[in-house]
Amino acid sequence: MTTLETVACYLPDKRVPVEDVAGQLGLTSMQTRLFRRYLGLAEIRLDPGGTLLDLLSAAIWRLSGLRGREHLVHYVLYARVMPVVAPYPVNPLRDLCRTFGLGHAVSFTVTHHACATGLLAVDLAGRLLAEDGDPDALALVLTGEKTFTRDARLVPGTSIFGEAAAACLVGSDGPADRVLSYAASIRGEFDGRLDELPDMAARFEKEYPASLAEAISAAAAQAGVSVGELSLILPHNVNALSWQRLCRRIGFPVGRVLLDNVPVIGHAFCADSFINYATAVDRGLLRPGDRYLIAAAGLGATFSAMVVEH
Amino acid sequence: MEHETLPQPLDTALRQRVLDAIAVLLPRVLDAETLVIAPEMKLMSDLGMRSASMLELLLELEDNLDIQIDVEDIDETAMTSVGDLADFVASHAVTDS
Repeated sequence: MTTLETVACYLPDKRVPVEDVAGQLGLTSMQTRLFRRYLGLAEIRLDPGGTLLDLLSAAIWRLSGLRGREHLVHYVLYARVMPVVAPYPVNPLRDLCRTFGLGHAVSFTVTHHACATGLLAVDLAGRLLAEDGDPDALALVLTGEKTFTRDARLVPGTSIFGEAAAACLVGSDGPADRVLSYAASIRGEFDGRLDELPDMAARFEKEYPASLAEAISAAAAQAGVSVGELSLILPHNVNALSWQRLCRRIGFPVGRVLLDNVPVIGHAFCADSFINYATAVDRGLLRPGDRYLIAAAGLGATFSAMVVEH
Repeated sequence: MEHETLPQPLDTALRQRVLDAIAVLLPRVLDAETLVIAPEMKLMSDLGMRSASMLELLLELEDNLDIQIDVEDIDETAMTSVGDLADFVASHAVTDS
């Protein structure tokens, strides 16, 4: 069974108010105000002088469970939203592997589920480990991206992206968080630029809550629990309002959705899930045996959920 | 400072003020100054409103009418017309306590 052995996160020190980001992007006063007033976004983290390599390295340095076990890491998966992050032949992932003694591992990037790709990578890592033949084999899942273009900074009227990174060591056995289920619904009819396709954007907005709710229900059902039995939902940090509305829709207490990072980190692409997991652990919000759900939605569109037992 | 939602019946006077304000503010939000707004107009199909433009309009209404609106309760699938929106705003005014 796939396990989440250990998670480490890196949040750059620089805190940037959403108003500053909005000003740089040329948003109107009202477009700017709604982020803080309604969407629950207040500031993001940025590392303006750092590279993608710096960002991801900082998370791996903090992954204490990796030290001395590098030889057991057979796979390194970089889960990201942006299809291209460096000019050919620059390959930050291979550079990372060499730096951290993981040059022997099979390494590759996972995309196409946008902000839900982190969960896909965990599932994929688990499948690779299940077929690996070595019960001690590990996989390293990396997340985190630079906000280097307008599209990597803003989802208009919805979210503002920040820079942060997370590293998750995935195993197939042992006393760790056990992945009980994974459900992903891919809705290719929403592939396209929302700002250029208003009809599609309207349909996406209308179907988003039901589609994410369905993914949550499907993951819970696969895990053999009801949604109400989940101790916690670890969300993607797109904004707080969409989760408040979704909770009302599915009858889940919003107080059991970890939204505390939304105002202080913003939407850190695929890293949200792991950052929120680390926060939950740090704050003692998960007790042994608790079953919690990680949920994410990605533009394009993918709706994903994963139930995990602590 | 805390806020609380008033569990109030529909305030018909406020509703009319909201409708009057929407008639002025919505064309500006939609960047269609000549648009004439009627209560029965559909927000999405007639006016092309999206979630973001809806929130912008609510911000404008808050400023214009000196109220605060609890948006957590918005059910956009049930709120189809300008009149529905006015009903929602008039029944979800938030006051300081």
